[in-house]
Amino acid sequence: MNDLNHLLREDARQPIADNGFSARVMTALPARAVAKRKWLTPALVFGSAALGSVLALALAPAGTSLMQGFADLVQLHPGTPAAITALGMAVALMISAIVFAVETE
Amino acid sequence: MPPPAAPSDVDLILAVLERDDRRAFEQLVDRHQSQVRTVLRRLTRGDMALSDDLAQETFVLAWRNLSRFRFEAKFSTWLYRIAFNAWRSEARKKREVLLDIDPDEAPPPGSDIAVEMPDVASRIDLERAMATLSDGERAALAACYYADLSHEEAAAALGVPLGTVKTHILRAKAKLKVRLTGKETA
Repeated sequence: MNDLNHLLREDARQPIADNGFSARVMTALPARAVAKRKWLTPALVFGSAALGSVLALALAPAGTSLMQGFADLVQLHPGTPAAITALGMAVALMISAIVFAVETE
Repeated sequence: MPPPAAPSDVDLILAVLERDDRRAFEQLVDRHQSQVRTVLRRLTRGDMALSDDLAQETFVLAWRNLSRFRFEAKFSTWLYRIAFNAWRSEARKKREVLLDIDPDEAPPPGSDIAVEMPDVASRIDLERAMATLSDGERAALAACYYADLSHEEAAAALGVPLGTVKTHILRAKAKLKVRLTGKETA
């Protein structure tokens, strides 16, 4: 005697011959971008931010210091060269931090 | 020297993810195509063309979304989930798929007893009998017997409560017995 459970399991085990199915699937696969390395985007953004900061400091007028820039910002004088340099660096670092946070989600 | 062991599903998935290895994915398709197509054939009431289209869609979706596979469940379980969703989407285009229990339907008589079948019940008879089941009953049977999922996994894959899966299984088996033997259970 054959019970229903056995009949169902037997039916499930019957193999279906491939008959070109796998080949059809492989033909239908879309091109797939190679998975980006996870560290690449944050590294690029952080590198760009660091480079921008160095350039900002190097190209700032003589006598400009970062501390002076932050002091100008605190005193609500954002138009001074030192304040603009400090602001640029802060924004660049903030963008880097956001990218890091999103990428590590 | 013994032949090298076949790579596991996890090895193949990692090869696809890390090296975009299409040969590795082809091995996964080759390994799982029979079971996925069997499940879909039962879900589509034996419509081979439709079930093969859905199986192809299942593997293409798996390829596209492989990076979302979390390695917590078996790859086959994840594939079946995609296959069930593909079947439901296709069926919804034509009509509403009812995976819930029909409250007006009486509980199947004798559904809690072991069901014995005569030897003459063939697979063709079974296929025909399964085609008469409701969508929910067929899906539950396909999940638990053909995809070999536990009741809990089937409930998750089908998006219905655990109790619904169990009820569908009991009703489906009772109906199958009647269809295959022509006898009502006492």
